[in-house]
Amino acid sequence: MSQHHPPHGGYAPPPPTEYEPAGSQAIHDDPEFHSLRRAYRSFGAVAALLSVGGFLSYVLLSSFAPALMNQELFGRITLGLALGLVQFLVMAVATWCYVRHMRERVDPLVLRLRAQQREQERAQEEQQARVAAGRRFRAW
Amino acid sequence: MVTQSAAIADQFSLRLTFILFVSVVVVTLFTALLTAPQRDEISEFYLGNRDMSPLRNGLAMCGDYVSAATLLGSTGLVALNGYDGLLYLGGTMVAWMMVLLMVAEPLRNSGKFTLGDTLALRLPQGQRSVRLALALCTLAVCLLYLVAQLVGSIALLTQFIGDPSPTTRAMCVVVIGSMVVVYAAIGGMPGATFIQVVKAVMLVAGVAITAVMVLQHFSWNVDRLLSTAADNSALGDRFLEPGLRYGGTTTNKLDFFSLQLAIVLGLAALPHIMMRLLAPRSTRVLRGSVVWAVGLVAFVCLMAGVLGLGATAIVGRENIAEVDPRGDAAILLLAHKLGGAVLEALLSSLAFITLLAVAAGLTLAAASSLAHDLYSEVIRKGKAKQTEELGVARLAAVVIGVMGMLLALLSWGTSTATLAFLAFAIAASAILPAIVYGLFWRGFTARGALLSLYGGLLCSVLLVVFSPIISSQPNSVYPDADFAWFPLQNPGIVSIPAGFLLGWLGSVTGGRGQDATSTDAFKEFEVRALVGTDQR
Repeated sequence: MSQHHPPHGGYAPPPPTEYEPAGSQAIHDDPEFHSLRRAYRSFGAVAALLSVGGFLSYVLLSSFAPALMNQELFGRITLGLALGLVQFLVMAVATWCYVRHMRERVDPLVLRLRAQQREQERAQEEQQARVAAGRRFRAW
Repeated sequence: MVTQSAAIADQFSLRLTFILFVSVVVVTLFTALLTAPQRDEISEFYLGNRDMSPLRNGLAMCGDYVSAATLLGSTGLVALNGYDGLLYLGGTMVAWMMVLLMVAEPLRNSGKFTLGDTLALRLPQGQRSVRLALALCTLAVCLLYLVAQLVGSIALLTQFIGDPSPTTRAMCVVVIGSMVVVYAAIGGMPGATFIQVVKAVMLVAGVAITAVMVLQHFSWNVDRLLSTAADNSALGDRFLEPGLRYGGTTTNKLDFFSLQLAIVLGLAALPHIMMRLLAPRSTRVLRGSVVWAVGLVAFVCLMAGVLGLGATAIVGRENIAEVDPRGDAAILLLAHKLGGAVLEALLSSLAFITLLAVAAGLTLAAASSLAHDLYSEVIRKGKAKQTEELGVARLAAVVIGVMGMLLALLSWGTSTATLAFLAFAIAASAILPAIVYGLFWRGFTARGALLSLYGGLLCSVLLVVFSPIISSQPNSVYPDADFAWFPLQNPGIVSIPAGFLLGWLGSVTGGRGQDATSTDAFKEFEVRALVGTDQR
């Protein structure tokens, strides 16, 4: 998936529509938003691919390479059973890494962007309030 | 041969089960009535208490997810098939990784009440037809899964009183079904959440206690547990090797892979789980909730594996298969052997409550989708008042409950697993492509959404119709006919790629005329999905 944002050649700002608060355009073009998107997606995709793909290939190996999976490691525990337990481990590690990644890489960016969004909204509201006040004055 | 599959419980245990079940139902029903949405507020009916702690949310998610099919069916699979059953449990657990890593947070950030809201925000053009398609898919998934739960209640009843007469069967379905309707229609999400939490606590405690007893029986020596299980399965080493159930031909192996694919990917698109993801107000609480859910589900699956192996080791594979060839009785037989009538009663009332809770969650999800997506947004074009929508949601819960009961009575002989697996396949091949493309792909269009939703739904249903489940096998629905040209019982391996392919195809072939607005809609959506806001 291409992560970078293609420049819009000759892209005129669109007419404002009702579902389009002006703030999200600006946020979307913010370089911090791009790194947020990269940080969220690349980790999620890789981790999901590793854990789910790992499990599915374990299923395929069990079905199509039983001889390999039946090698006894110790006692009754075969390679297949041990790999089954490893799935739990993989899941725990993936979850832990995800929580840490989100806390350290993603959350700070989100908080900063949210603050920016609030700032913009407040500026917009103030402007609107000024305009409304002006109109009221004129109406008087 | 009427009493052949019979009555594994004695009178004492039967009474105790009944008392336990009724007392839990009475307590939860009263709480559902007390916590029912008071102020005719639609968001409370759909999402419940939005300020719950991550632990309680996680318990509710776990409660929604672990159905009686998992509790009884999977332990039975492990008891009868050893290794293959354990693999199945693994899929049940790994499925949560897709939810945690890919879907949960962007979905909550961009969602409102239903999945339809998320897709409508993403695809403002043609949102009505997308909502309609999504509501249909949601209804199909929920109804199939609901019928599976109600049919399961008949199967569970069989464990107690032997083969029930048609009247008993109807009574059982109607009683369980009406309770489900009361929870969903009156209690709404707060009521359903309460019963989920109660059920999840009982479930975790119940499986933990029984698993500890099993391990104690083998003095915490897993190796001894494994070898006793292998010895008492009368299959020796083969019990701990793959291929006992899904082995042999390549078709069988592919069938198993297809099933695992549907389970692992289907969860991330089950409507009643998705609704739970939308409830927490802040992303941080949601993350904590899903992490709790992952942990709890993994714990339950691990314990279910121990219970299944323990059942074979202590009760013996042949005894289990004799009582119920599908193995659903394994955990109850084990409980009877280990803890006598009391433990058996505890676990069987747990199974009934599990059925009830999952069915209530499903009814609620389907009712929300019908009332919000279909009635309020498509029929009334967004002009319905909150009280009106709430009334429709309650009515829809009743209608869905009644439909579920009728379908369950018509198809009581069908295997619960078949119905549940079809529901998973539809979720994975119709709803999941729409969610994944919607969240992550810039070029996704309403046309693509419609194609993937309808196409995935049709593809999975048709493949099942032309599979050995419906015809050609001695145990299929029409054993005498033969139109089964699709060799697998689980359509996932074909229908999931088909759903994704159709979504892509529909998006790239559609007209590119509305580019500017749809790019803007995507930008707006992406900001919402990634940055989000903590709702106050």
